[in-house]
Amino acid sequence: MNSELVYGAYILIWPALTLGVLGVICWAVARDVRKAKSSDEDLL
Amino acid sequence: MIGPAPEGYLCFRKRGPDLNENGFTQFSTLTVLLLLAAFYGGTYLLTLLIRKDKEDTSGFMVAGHHVGFGMGAASMTATWIWAASFYAAATSGYTYGVSGPIHYGLWGALMILFIYPFGRRFRKLAPNGHTLGELIHARHGASSQMILAVSNILGSVISLMVNFTAAGALVSVLSPLSFETGVIVAGVGVLAYTLTSGFRASVFTDFAQLVALMAIAIIIIPAVLFSAGGPSVMVEGLSRLTDEQANLFSVEAILHQGAPFFVAVLAYAIGNQTISQRLFAVREKHIKSTFVTATIGYGAIVIGLGMIGLMALSVGMEPIDGKMNNLIPQMVSTYLSPVFVALFFVLVIGSLSSTADSDLSALSTIMMADVYGKNIAGDNPSPRVMMLVGRITMIVATVAGLIFASFSLDILVMLVFVGALWGAIVFPVIVSCYWDRVTNAAFTWSVVAAMALFCIARFELLEMTGLTVLFFESLASVGGAVVIGLMVFGFFGRAAGLVAGVITLAAMLVFATGFLRDYMVLVASLTAYGASAVVCTAMTLFSKERFDFDLIAQRVGDYDNVEDESYMVPEAAK
Repeated sequence: MNSELVYGAYILIWPALTLGVLGVICWAVARDVRKAKSSDEDLL
Repeated sequence: MIGPAPEGYLCFRKRGPDLNENGFTQFSTLTVLLLLAAFYGGTYLLTLLIRKDKEDTSGFMVAGHHVGFGMGAASMTATWIWAASFYAAATSGYTYGVSGPIHYGLWGALMILFIYPFGRRFRKLAPNGHTLGELIHARHGASSQMILAVSNILGSVISLMVNFTAAGALVSVLSPLSFETGVIVAGVGVLAYTLTSGFRASVFTDFAQLVALMAIAIIIIPAVLFSAGGPSVMVEGLSRLTDEQANLFSVEAILHQGAPFFVAVLAYAIGNQTISQRLFAVREKHIKSTFVTATIGYGAIVIGLGMIGLMALSVGMEPIDGKMNNLIPQMVSTYLSPVFVALFFVLVIGSLSSTADSDLSALSTIMMADVYGKNIAGDNPSPRVMMLVGRITMIVATVAGLIFASFSLDILVMLVFVGALWGAIVFPVIVSCYWDRVTNAAFTWSVVAAMALFCIARFELLEMTGLTVLFFESLASVGGAVVIGLMVFGFFGRAAGLVAGVITLAAMLVFATGFLRDYMVLVASLTAYGASAVVCTAMTLFSKERFDFDLIAQRVGDYDNVEDESYMVPEAAK
């Protein structure tokens, strides 16, 4: 049971980490879009 | 979805109704064409959101130097992930077992991380720069710049070709469409959405492509794990692994997979304009956060998908036709429904397209800034001509990539030389940005000498025995010291870098001489680093020149205000 948990965690930690980074990137882009709109500038 | 496979099933797979004779899910021509049209059509429509009536050169090359943290991190991650990332990480997991995916993904991720301290220096020296070549041109002149530009161009053309090839292979494996059709659709699709807005389109679409790519990776990895029986079945399968494969600290994995990648960490980052372009494009204050986030994002996605290779090993899957690149499509086709296979298709197309559009932008920028701006136009570069040069470059590069990909050329020799060239330029490029005594001759001759010595070692043009092999092992030891020393220097400064370099050199001279000769490919790679460092340092020590680094910011400027006489003055100095 213990090794199953370790093995499962070893594989699933990567998609979990990916989800975290995806959240950070989406939050940062949303913030940049808001800033660009409020200052009437282009996002890119 | 289908349940866990019984013992031995995977070695003698049955053909299901939706599997082709190769054992992959078979889509109809219409389905694949619709998927491709949705992907490239959607991407093209996205670029309409940011299209301007009149693009300027700064926007086309570096998005005006003000890309934000989120877009920058997304773009860097998406660019660095190409189709080969998944296949190679899965191959590493299948070959080296538990530690395999980490030895692929971790070092690839560190390429992004280790360049950012140097990137901040590049940006400080040339706040209005577009390419690393421009900076080197301002520092040394044309010959050093062209060495860098040529290495960048070769790298991007190879990358384009590999990505188009991957598209052709995927389309031909999963549908009745031909390899050439896949290659052409990918090439035309990428060119269509990149041509008008250049780098701005590349960054904007990278964000959308990365969101899709990450979402699919987040779904597919657990889906394969649990459809294949979950962790319990995987743990049972661990008995199939050899001792080395079951060891998280496998020496075999480190020596064969980790070490060669580790050696290449700085070389890939310096030799790749797609990275330096983003260093010049992201807002200066966001360089660190952008590159750290991209490092984690790249590592998580690539290592995660590499775990599918480990799962394949655990369940006893044999790659079809012995081809390791079949592992992921095979696992997805075997354990998941066609909907997931379609998602995997989008994942690969997205990853290769994001890298290909970055390569097109990189190539166009090199031709615009390094070739036209610095070597043809003289003191009077025309923004209009520059834009034309950039767009023509994109078209020519796409056609070249399509032709090379269609002929399935053997690029191994080209890859060997480009890798060596990147290794040879690492020390001269970095040291030129910190040491005011380095000359153009020291830069140029150090690269030439390093390439010559690399060829002797790589192709064993001399008999590698006695003093000869000892000489090359010593140079390789210097190369190892250069790699470690520069990495430490980037983060902790000159004193720490020197100490790390000296300790590494001493350790390698003691432990590696007599041992490295069994790994001549590694010796040759390290020789490129070591020889260029020795020659560059020796010639520099004889130099009496002193360079004023402030001149770089004055010499590397914006091309859009050409009518204004102050166009060569950086924004920060105005």
